[in-house]
Amino acid sequence: MRRVVLALGGTIAGLVMLLSFRTHMGSAAVAGVPGAAGKTGGTSASGTGGSAGSAGSAGSAGSAGSAGSGGGAAAAAPAPVSAGSGTGTAVTGNVIMTGYGPTQVQVTLNAGKIVKVTVLQQTDDGVNSQMIDARALPLLKNETLTAQSAKINAVSGASYTSAGYIKSLQSALDKARAS
Amino acid sequence: MTGVTGVTGVTGVTTLKVAGPGAMSPAAIAIGSPAERLRHAEHVMGTVFSFDIPAAAAPVLPQAVRWLHWVDATFSAYRDDSDVSRFGRGELTLAQCALELAEVIGECAAIRELSDGYFTDWPGGRFDPSGLVKGWAIERAAIMLSAAGFTGHCVNGAGDMQCTGEPEPGQPWRVGIAHPLRPSALAAVITGRDIAVATSGTAERGAHIVNPRTGRPATELASVTVIGPRAATADAYATAAFAMGPAARQWVESLEGYEALGIAPDGATWQTGGLGAYTTPG
Repeated sequence: MRRVVLALGGTIAGLVMLLSFRTHMGSAAVAGVPGAAGKTGGTSASGTGGSAGSAGSAGSAGSAGSAGSGGGAAAAAPAPVSAGSGTGTAVTGNVIMTGYGPTQVQVTLNAGKIVKVTVLQQTDDGVNSQMIDARALPLLKNETLTAQSAKINAVSGASYTSAGYIKSLQSALDKARAS
Repeated sequence: MTGVTGVTGVTGVTTLKVAGPGAMSPAAIAIGSPAERLRHAEHVMGTVFSFDIPAAAAPVLPQAVRWLHWVDATFSAYRDDSDVSRFGRGELTLAQCALELAEVIGECAAIRELSDGYFTDWPGGRFDPSGLVKGWAIERAAIMLSAAGFTGHCVNGAGDMQCTGEPEPGQPWRVGIAHPLRPSALAAVITGRDIAVATSGTAERGAHIVNPRTGRPATELASVTVIGPRAATADAYATAAFAMGPAARQWVESLEGYEALGIAPDGATWQTGGLGAYTTPG
């Protein structure tokens, strides 16, 4: 099973994010999945934003559970994360440095719907970071879980991190649907 | 006021309610997949503008992006060499500035009057039309996309946005309103076609909106969201409404075509009478 990796590029003073997305395959699993080879990085979903100064390397080391295994580990993520009970495609974002600190999210998709959203890393180095994380990330997490499949197109209010986050989420879904 | 022409550009696509964006867009039909979307995040104006557009609209994107950077260079109050800064210092006459500055000043004057001074492009005695410019830039970017024949797009300038048509046939745009006080909640989800949504609040940047009448930071609301047809006015109205405090409710009620959702620091919420039209799914 292929892994979809969100490569999120963080920035500095502007508290802004530029995003690009890449598709990755766990090396072990990919070999047995016909047709997966066409999914390589830098597809149109990344937009024309150009190089995103992506923080972190592209893929996580783990391979995803093979298709049809009936619910084995949905994702062998590098971070200690429960991947949820359901089978699905684990979509893991790289650790990104935002103005609010390092952030990483993982989304588990099943049939194009979000079955689980996990914030793998949250910042704990400042009040502001806590506030932003507490505000924007769980906010979107809850809504996506409620609405099932990122029915929100945008968020008004929590400008910076939410704009980047929902974009990455939606793009991951687009990518998943495109497959 | 020349800026009013923008109204037609943005709201003139209401026929989308009968025909989805795929049906309206020859390019989308040509590729056989009207739902295919393109997303783009652009660093500009000290923040990020997010585009959610049909994939077929990719050729128009550079134009919209160039526009945003031009607006930044011309209208930024934080750049000493912008027309806005030089005009504010009296180094340039209006006639020497970009033509669009006169339009912006005209819109600002109208909203200043309409808001009884709660909105101003001279906050603290310094020329700074930023309260209108971001929404105006968003709106114009959306018009560019519409003018090129694309109807389902959303231009989001760090939380203030113009959502045109539908993201996919039969589906309205869904815009979550961040709850300013409850960390894991949305205060509401606004749904609609051809809507602008703008929120002013203290959550992201602290108490940064000054009540022009008192010269002090506005603190009577935690956030206020304005929904209406145009991003330029929604943005400026939200700024004015935030400065007004609770009185904003009655004020927005008086504005044709605009609705508001206000959240007080104690969590109490209010909304204008017509907001329900935007909170019903579908």
